[in-house]
Amino acid sequence: MHPLVVNFEADFVLQLLPVEADFTMDQVAEAAAFHSLNRRVKPQSGKTLRVRVQDADVPLGREVTVAQAGLREMETVEVYYE
Amino acid sequence: MALLNRSDWYDIARDTNWTPKYVTEDALFPPQMSDCFDIPREKWAGYDEPYKTTYREYVKVQREKDAGAYSVKAALARMKFFEGADPGWLSILKAHYGAIAVQEYAAGMAEARMARFGKASGMRNMATFGLLDETRHGQIQLYFPHEHVNKDRQFDWAHKAMHTNEWGAIAARHMFADMMNTRDAVSVAIMLTFAFETGFTNMQFLGLAADAAEAGDFTFANLISSIQTDEARHAQIGAPALKILIENGKQEEAQRKVDIAFWRSWRLFTVLTGPMMDYYTPLDKREKSFKEFMEEWIIGQFERNMLDLGLDKPWYWDIFLEELNDTHHGMHMGVWYWRPTVWWNPAAGASSAERDWLEEKYPGWNDTWGQCWDVIAANVAAGREDLLLPQTLPVICNMTNLPIVGRPGKRWKLRDYHLDYKGRRYHFGSEPDRWVFEQEPERYAGHTTLVDRFVAGLVQPPTIEGALQYMNLGQGEIGEDAHGYDWAFDYQNFRKQAV
Repeated sequence: MHPLVVNFEADFVLQLLPVEADFTMDQVAEAAAFHSLNRRVKPQSGKTLRVRVQDADVPLGREVTVAQAGLREMETVEVYYE
Repeated sequence: MALLNRSDWYDIARDTNWTPKYVTEDALFPPQMSDCFDIPREKWAGYDEPYKTTYREYVKVQREKDAGAYSVKAALARMKFFEGADPGWLSILKAHYGAIAVQEYAAGMAEARMARFGKASGMRNMATFGLLDETRHGQIQLYFPHEHVNKDRQFDWAHKAMHTNEWGAIAARHMFADMMNTRDAVSVAIMLTFAFETGFTNMQFLGLAADAAEAGDFTFANLISSIQTDEARHAQIGAPALKILIENGKQEEAQRKVDIAFWRSWRLFTVLTGPMMDYYTPLDKREKSFKEFMEEWIIGQFERNMLDLGLDKPWYWDIFLEELNDTHHGMHMGVWYWRPTVWWNPAAGASSAERDWLEEKYPGWNDTWGQCWDVIAANVAAGREDLLLPQTLPVICNMTNLPIVGRPGKRWKLRDYHLDYKGRRYHFGSEPDRWVFEQEPERYAGHTTLVDRFVAGLVQPPTIEGALQYMNLGQGEIGEDAHGYDWAFDYQNFRKQAV
């Protein structure tokens, strides 16, 4: 288990997100969405969820894995609609 | 024989200082227990407590206060307020007693530290009465809820909460221990009595008393008003201590400690008092919003107290003012969404009429917090209970031990104020929380939040159920929506009519 801290766009709270080191960023976004979308955040159709490290200017590649991106345990990532 | 006036003998009688011959000054008053500012003992002779009372006077007044509070309780017990009370109001009582009652004993220990280790005889005298005050507050706030335990098991948490690993209890213990039980007497005087009691106890014990009276809970209104009369007296230990510190060139250090205690108090009140005032109190019983009470008691009065003493406003004052609009809404939503993890039943407070009130008091509420409550209300209407309960934990601040929250919806503003220290990443809910940690990192670094413990494998099984077990929350105790989701159906019907 590789825990991350997720800040999901338009949600109100940071959440603990257990993922695996070989998860791609698309899988991270999907896992994060499970805890926010349709619970407290309305989905936005036709848009893609992206992942970026907090304060980064650009998102991580969608196929890049957690390990490849060098995300440390409890790294804070933002998941947002592009 | 004619009695002397108190003013004729008070100073002599309370001045129990003497010159030690058999021990050193530091052995009698160890700096880590007495005065970390290291003000010479003779300077403390100038300490002048503004409120002077004698033991005889104290006992007489306290006896009358107790007689009043207990007789109101006995008289009103026959009115069966409990049976007819709004579930949201009962949640206020449960949350209040669990968070406060046992901590009063810890406050008694803090007063005892000042009573023993304060170098000023006036401080020792006042703190002796403060110790008796806090003992009374502990006893009375455990006795009053006890009559409800046979009707509702959550009231058992008045005594139980502080002995568990429930997250709110950890947060309260961490904050109160920081300012009350792990500091020298002088620091306790300025952090507990000045920063916390002068400002914030007014919010919980006077502001809430106004709502209690409106709600018809005269027993509770009378009880907490009675307590506040004690607080108003022993809270005055801090100001003359600050005066001595400032006169002796310690303004900067004193300011720093006041700033720490103020911020920590503020943050705890966002989860305790904010939701009570703006969401749990029935709408027609609310006297003012949490923000309005804060503006009256904290901005109006406490700010003036600080400036009068020669202190500045804390460096984070603008951040604090901005937080008045947001933070407690986030704490409320966190408590509601993770309601199985608390010992009371959170009232959502999001019916159509309540939303109108929130929008009026907090312009923009519908575009932010309302966006989330829209989704929640729709899930209630659709019977999606699976989406109304959490499947993971919120990330917890390494200072407050409270969820890290921000503003949702159309004006989304949420971030992690993290810090790497000695190879460990710490997460904070605000810039001032991180600043507090940075003032004395070794003081705080070893503590683990509930989430830290979860990640470290100390919570087994690593599920929500395992977390509830770790927090000692059993069936009949875990929180549910206070009104069985009635508010959501009301809001959904309102929306349909609007369409």
